[in-house]
Amino acid sequence: MRIIDITRRSARNLKQAKARTLLTALAIGVGAFALTLTLAASNGAQSFVNQVISDNFDPSEIIVAKDESILGRGDTNKPKEYDESFGSAAVNSGASVQIKQLTDKDVEKIRKYPGVEQVREGVTLNLQYITRPGAKKYVANAIDFSPAQNPEVVAGAIVKPLSDMTVLLPEAYVSSLGFKNPQDAIGKNITLAVRKSIDIAKFLQDGVPTDSAGVQDLAKSSSVEQQFKIAAVLKKPTTSQPGTELYLFISNKDAKILNDIATTGTTQYRKYTYAYARVKNGDNKANIAAVQAKLKSDGYISQSVEETQKFLTQIIDVLKGIVAAFGFIAVIASVFGVVNTMYISVLQRTREIGLMKALGTRRKDISRLFRFEAAWIGFLGGAIGSLAAFLLGTGLNPWITKKLDLGTQKLLIFDVTQIAILIVLLVLVAIFAGLLPARKAAKLDPIEALRTE
Amino acid sequence: MYMIEVKNVTKTYGKKDSHFTALDNVSFSIPEGSTVAIIGKSGSGKSTLMHIMSGLDHPNEGQIVIAKKVLHELKGKAMDTFRATEMSFIFQSFFVEANQTCYQNVSLPLEIAELKNRKTKVVEALTAVDLADKIHAKASELSGGQKQRLAIARAIVNKPRLIFADEPTGNLDSVTGDKIIDLLFKLNKTNKNTLILVTHDDELAEKCQIRITLKDGKIIDFKDKKKGAK
Repeated sequence: MRIIDITRRSARNLKQAKARTLLTALAIGVGAFALTLTLAASNGAQSFVNQVISDNFDPSEIIVAKDESILGRGDTNKPKEYDESFGSAAVNSGASVQIKQLTDKDVEKIRKYPGVEQVREGVTLNLQYITRPGAKKYVANAIDFSPAQNPEVVAGAIVKPLSDMTVLLPEAYVSSLGFKNPQDAIGKNITLAVRKSIDIAKFLQDGVPTDSAGVQDLAKSSSVEQQFKIAAVLKKPTTSQPGTELYLFISNKDAKILNDIATTGTTQYRKYTYAYARVKNGDNKANIAAVQAKLKSDGYISQSVEETQKFLTQIIDVLKGIVAAFGFIAVIASVFGVVNTMYISVLQRTREIGLMKALGTRRKDISRLFRFEAAWIGFLGGAIGSLAAFLLGTGLNPWITKKLDLGTQKLLIFDVTQIAILIVLLVLVAIFAGLLPARKAAKLDPIEALRTE
Repeated sequence: MYMIEVKNVTKTYGKKDSHFTALDNVSFSIPEGSTVAIIGKSGSGKSTLMHIMSGLDHPNEGQIVIAKKVLHELKGKAMDTFRATEMSFIFQSFFVEANQTCYQNVSLPLEIAELKNRKTKVVEALTAVDLADKIHAKASELSGGQKQRLAIARAIVNKPRLIFADEPTGNLDSVTGDKIIDLLFKLNKTNKNTLILVTHDDELAEKCQIRITLKDGKIIDFKDKKKGAK
């Protein structure tokens, strides 16, 4: 028999048992539904991660650190050996931590690597406050602006590299600082203040204090205020690194100057948790790998953007795996449904099979007839399930995006090719499920089959 | 020139201790285009003989020669092709697919034999059995006699040289049965095929050119009207 005739006959057979066909297909449909949504959700998550990466990182830049516990490495369950160079353990949220940091010496060393174009110290500046005349003082953090970052601008414009003495202001500060609207803030000055740790001038003049009053006096902090011009107002980001939503951006040079003021005389002076090494011709992965190898041999920890991306994707992959596993279980369960349905179909059509064999139908054609029937069930199930998932997902997407505050990002991204491949796979699974019943049909003895009344 | 030669065919079932001889050294010849009745009581071996003559079953000994071909020497595909193009069947219980239309029922042998011009051939076959107006009707809508006519249309659509009919009137009343038999004989004349009827109806057997009577797996009587008793 010709394939087209077999296909048509098998479709017709299914039509004659509509309820049975539909119910069996629905079982596969449940799996298809779950798998389609999983794929869509992981596409969405992947796209979100990619957006975060491209909005925040320069793919040629490697993050460099000295401490194992940074960048998610090292064993946090093991006691850490005390390091004299810290003087005393810094206190962070009440927990005693010691983080080995990079010094100017380290930065200089890395800067001299042949593959490295430029090294930028990662400065996170704890401002004392941010204010402007007539406004209250607010707590704020500032970090140096990386040219790789692409924050969304509400007003003004970003010049790269960021000009000195200018600031990029998150939208949330606009009304707090008394501006009418974001546009109103552009070009205006705001005051950033850092707390001096000790009064260096007084210390140099008077030497080590001899009494406790003198120590207190020396340690009495005084604020250093600096005027910054607002270059741009930033929209509340949806793809920033978590926890950095309210960060102000200033130039690397300004950040370093203010940080020096804030940390002079402390163990934190000229200490950097991170530095960013920009690799020459960093679009070639081999160049990045070479610099990373050198960093490793010199005792540094490093992470490329690709690794950051992998790290962020890891958790997504785990979740994806769990949902996909449920989908697969549903598919496996539905396989038994298909086997059962196909056996019933063979049983019901024993006479027809006998007649076809008596009329000279080849065994392989009889087998094909039932395998195709199973394939149709698989196709129907796959199509119903993925279509339902597509409709539901497309319908819910705007609501989910709004609820999760994803901005322009969609949580569910449906890929037609993926869905097509999924349906093809389900068809293959169904054919596999139909193998035994099809074999039984092909092996039927026509004399016995035609004796059935 | 003989259409079918049955040479020393023996068929036994079961193992040594309890074995049962369905056919015992049966031999005869049938000329092309003749009508043949194989009669006998149930258990006489007539169905087994039909199955072996059509290649559905294998003899333990002896051979069937159809159109100079030794039937059971045909292997796999050749046997299927031979059956798809050279022979067809009519059954007591019709075996038409109730949920399919008359067209779909009749086109089955054409699909199996991968023949072309199906539409013309199906219409021709349905016209021959006077069912042309039912071409798109479902088989379930037909009466018993119409169903058997549909089965006959299916049997003649690929113009086989050999038609086996197993108790074709068994499920029909005598008036309808007679019409079916008349139709089979008429088609035998127009199409020049060989018709082999398996029946226990003496009256029906009388109408055939050759009458083979079986008892306990042996031929006890062979009559050829053209040659007289043999």
